[in-house]
Amino acid sequence: MPATSKKVITRDEWEKKLNDVKIRKEDMNKLVMNFLVTEGYVDAAEKFRKESGTEPEIDLATITDRMAVKKAVQDGHVVDAIEKVNDLNPEASYYLPTDLNGKTGYADQQRLIELIREGQVAQALEFAQDELAPRGEPSFLEELERTVALLAFEDVKNSPVGDLLDLSHRSKVASEVNAAILTSQSHEKDPKLPSLLRMLLWAQNQLDEKAVYPRITDLFTAALEDPSV
Amino acid sequence: MVNKEEDPVGSYFLDLWKSRLSKDDVFNDDNEETEEVGPTELDTLKSSGGFSIVLPDKLSVKYPNVNLHGHDVGVVQANNPAPVNCLVYYFEIFVKNAGVKGHVSIGFTTQGFNLRRQPGWDANSFGYHGDDGLIYQGQGKGDAFGPTYTTGDTVGGGINYASQQFFFTKNGQVVGSVPINVTGRLYPTVGVHSQNEEVSVNFGKDPFLFDIKAYEASQRAEHQRFIERLSISPTASYGIVRSYLQHYGYEETLGVFDEATLTSVPPITGFSDNGFNEHNHYALHHRKILRQQIKDGQIDDAFAKLREWYPVIVQDDTSVICFMLHCQKFIELVRVGSLEEAVCYGKAHFEKFYSLKDYEDLVKDCAALLAYLEPKKSPVGYLLEDTQRENVADAVNAMILSTNPALKDQRSCLHSYLERLLKQLSACFLEKRLLNGNQGEAFHLRRVLLSKST
Repeated sequence: MPATSKKVITRDEWEKKLNDVKIRKEDMNKLVMNFLVTEGYVDAAEKFRKESGTEPEIDLATITDRMAVKKAVQDGHVVDAIEKVNDLNPEASYYLPTDLNGKTGYADQQRLIELIREGQVAQALEFAQDELAPRGEPSFLEELERTVALLAFEDVKNSPVGDLLDLSHRSKVASEVNAAILTSQSHEKDPKLPSLLRMLLWAQNQLDEKAVYPRITDLFTAALEDPSV
Repeated sequence: MVNKEEDPVGSYFLDLWKSRLSKDDVFNDDNEETEEVGPTELDTLKSSGGFSIVLPDKLSVKYPNVNLHGHDVGVVQANNPAPVNCLVYYFEIFVKNAGVKGHVSIGFTTQGFNLRRQPGWDANSFGYHGDDGLIYQGQGKGDAFGPTYTTGDTVGGGINYASQQFFFTKNGQVVGSVPINVTGRLYPTVGVHSQNEEVSVNFGKDPFLFDIKAYEASQRAEHQRFIERLSISPTASYGIVRSYLQHYGYEETLGVFDEATLTSVPPITGFSDNGFNEHNHYALHHRKILRQQIKDGQIDDAFAKLREWYPVIVQDDTSVICFMLHCQKFIELVRVGSLEEAVCYGKAHFEKFYSLKDYEDLVKDCAALLAYLEPKKSPVGYLLEDTQRENVADAVNAMILSTNPALKDQRSCLHSYLERLLKQLSACFLEKRLLNGNQGEAFHLRRVLLSKST
């Protein structure tokens, strides 16, 4: 459609349309609760339950356990984390050490990284050779080789595999573990709010093709911009 | 009379209450879609001057004669146009007999189409023709499209409302698609044009050869991938949640949330700095206390605190906010069974409101609580739900926000940023659908919010 045939919607007209959209308060409360629960803010979720009367969609106690596992990974206590997962839910453990494909192989890799970080060379090699290498999954072996390579560099931080020792790598693993546990609890691993925000951007992009109207570009202020004609 | 100019905040929350009062609850968008009647059989009323005959099952069409020229095609439309409140519409034909020349066609036409012409030959019609495999898009000349089809083949025609395309299939495989360049309701259409040609139509009564469910799922997945590829600031959600807690005065949650985000490793920052939220912490503690009191049904206490902290809000006893608080007090008395006290309270306070047109129905609803032994189960039982208290608490919260001297726009007290974003989201989907001639799936924010799978 040529640009000239775009429908122009003034601010007044658009605000009228916005006014006609009714959003339930309880739905917004649920959305906020979903965010707090999924991101693991258990204390905030507990307070929010009291202050807003919104019931969380899962037992808040399970968040505490989940966050304990996440923290253990973040602090480098991987063995501890795997044990905690086993205690938490035998089903959740299925998503962790046994599955070598993709994300959950991270947990074992992270354990190896922590051994290397602590300078426990003998233990690291033993763990790698006796327990990890025999699993033989090609993509996993590749990561294993990359990890063992940490031992070969004097200045590990500036080596090609230095990223593995970076603390942000721990955070990445921690959120993967977090997601695995949520999945095992048949809960969505991502909160709904960010996907709704993406949906808003997408809906605006779609409408841009057909109309000129007040957009919201800055999600932080939710300010309506005047339509540029 | 409640003046919207003078008291935009009060009248907004009064309207929220009224929307619950009326029978047609504006929030209840689940039932608004009436079931559409789609095509079920071939149209037997508008025959094409005897060039084709629809068989008694109303799902087969046959060309009994010898064709002579371009104006004795036998075309049949479905009895109803394709439904529009869906992602995809689809139907199939089976070529029982390609006849002498195999001039079978499948396509879509609009109402009033000349039924002696092949779909696609004339304006506002589209057709995929069996003899040459070409697509005809409203002109006499066809465009290269797909394979030919003949006796024994199953061919399908579909409308993808999301992509605004027609698509066609042969024996369960997609052949191709073309843009829909026509407005108006579209009728599934079949054409036959040589002796003994016979085609049967399946409007969904029997299973389709083409896996339409898988097609729909792949369309949705593609959408989802598009959406997920869009990048948003990783802290945007944090900022929006935080401003929501600020807006409604959920002070304790806010405190714990702030502490948790700052002490997490690594700390999550960059969303709470220097007051992008104009309300900030304005009167946060007062708002928190009042919300708690109203939530607990302590209306006298709330009144007392308001008189102490924000006398301007409650100085006019006939204002909306006073009205809502008085009603709530009455409701709380009914809730605990103090009916005599409720009657006295009503006599003392409802009189001055009863004469005001705006309040009349609401006062009636409140008073009606007295009529029932079990008011919770009565038609006015909604008054005893938590949402009623919450609406009063939200109204008081917004009134206090409106006393902020730093405030630029009164209406900013009404909606949190989260609500504004959700409204914008819904409005965009509604407008887009409107500009598509109201075709395609309707957007229901509530279903997205409450859905289990993402």
